Amino acid sequence: MSAPTLSYVAELRDVEMRFDEKMVLDGVSLAVDPMERLVIMGQSGSGKSTILRLILGILRPAVGSVFFKQFEVTRLQRRKLQQIRRQIGMVYQYSALLSSRHVRDNVALPLEELTDKTAADIDEIVDDKLQLVGMFESKYMMPSELSGGMRKRVSLARALVMEPELILFDEPTAGLDPVISSVIDELIISLTEQQKVTSVIVTHEMDSAFRIGTRMAMLYQGRIIENADANQFRQSNNPIVRQFLSGSTEGPILEGSQDAITAK
Amino acid sequence: MADDQNRDGDNASLIPGNPVEVVQEIGQAGRSFFAEVGSIFWFLIQTVDETIDRIRQGRLPFRASSFFNHTERAGVESVPLVGLVSFFLGLTMALLTGYQLQRFGTERLVPGLVAIAFTRELGPLLTGIMLAARVGAAFTAELGTMKVSEEVEAIEAMGIGPLRFLVAPRTLALCSLMPCLTTISSIAAIFATSLICRAYFSIAFVYFIDLVRDALLIRDIITGVFKSFMFGLLIAAIACYRGLHVEGGAAGVGSATTSSVVTAITTVIGVDTLYNVVYVVFFP
Repeated sequence: MSAPTLSYVAELRDVEMRFDEKMVLDGVSLAVDPMERLVIMGQSGSGKSTILRLILGILRPAVGSVFFKQFEVTRLQRRKLQQIRRQIGMVYQYSALLSSRHVRDNVALPLEELTDKTAADIDEIVDDKLQLVGMFESKYMMPSELSGGMRKRVSLARALVMEPELILFDEPTAGLDPVISSVIDELIISLTEQQKVTSVIVTHEMDSAFRIGTRMAMLYQGRIIENADANQFRQSNNPIVRQFLSGSTEGPILEGSQDAITAK
Repeated sequence: MADDQNRDGDNASLIPGNPVEVVQEIGQAGRSFFAEVGSIFWFLIQTVDETIDRIRQGRLPFRASSFFNHTERAGVESVPLVGLVSFFLGLTMALLTGYQLQRFGTERLVPGLVAIAFTRELGPLLTGIMLAARVGAAFTAELGTMKVSEEVEAIEAMGIGPLRFLVAPRTLALCSLMPCLTTISSIAAIFATSLICRAYFSIAFVYFIDLVRDALLIRDIITGVFKSFMFGLLIAAIACYRGLHVEGGAAGVGSATTSSVVTAITTVIGVDTLYNVVYVVFFP
């Protein structure tokens, strides 16, 4: 059993992950430092969201280890894993709010199920978190009545309600208009700074990535091909990173992809 | 001519070629059947384990409101359907058996016959089939939709056991409601029989009650209650298992719901038959 590096909040070590025959992660090693906002970029289907699910212990790697603080997530029993998950918040791409419960009940759910707090305490915490994300007025609305941006904000409030040490964001601005995207980005920055939370953000939206990220990693064909702070990342000499940042159709990404081969 | 050739071709595809392949296919089907049974059994064990784990922590496994919500949807809202279908079936059964028995002058056997049949056999079976179609389908569709919209994963990611939170209240609701609904089914059928007996066979209501009480044994009632409890457990387990294993979006939810209803109804009838065989052979 490999030992965790205690200074990291989360760490993936030589992780391999396959879905059927497809190798999604091929020896990925990645560490998350305390208080940073690590942005993982990559093409659609490159395995970015898989990394978040590995940290949560929802998926287990074929090879390698995943740590959350001193705990090896891959080896934990169910009860311990559930305790670990309480220290991690997750904001899903499509928000994943429970459609049968209104906003207040969605946010209160982890507190009601996992803590011994009184109803009055829960109400106070829920109100506080909803105010933080600017959704207090919509407390009794159903998820179906909310816009995409509002759902994301409720999802963020739900992720914050247990005071987690790490928040995972899966495509937090996907499908939102530029203004709402900026609002969500600023919310992520201010909340992670105010609440002193470490965050890992998965996205392929450049503007959002550079606005939020303090460090960036690029995942390509199952490997981390670049891992640097935001400024260094922007100036990377790696041709794949350069092409990804510029959005050009000329370069190694399209040449290597199946679509390009088929087109030719 | 061309049609004949096509028909020949179709027939040829229906005729098994290599006997080894046929045996292999039967083996494969058997293997996947037992794998499925094992998975559902394991799913139930895990649900019980998660629930007990929670109780050991000194907490309620799920909220009472969640349980009563499911009992209302699964049980109370099923009363009209179960009552009406059983009433009509009781009418038909009493009428048909009564006319046959009347030829031998033994129509006074009708009350006991219908009472035993419904209390021990048809009540649990009919209720099981109706609830598999009505409630099982709802459970699968609901959980399947939650699965494809990542709600189930979100619950898991929060550190809440999804089996304890989603499956346990549904299973307990169905298990505790099935005996009640079966009782309603039997009472509706016996009441319908009493009307037929009064109208066509001149059996007074008081005499009808005496005949039913003479015919029914405590053993029949216990058997019916036990069966209904077992069917409730099976329907809930199959429906929730199918719901939480949905893959492939809306189409996946649709096919899982169909599969859940078909599997639950087949299982209820199969287990009922097996139970009867075992019961008759070992406890004649």
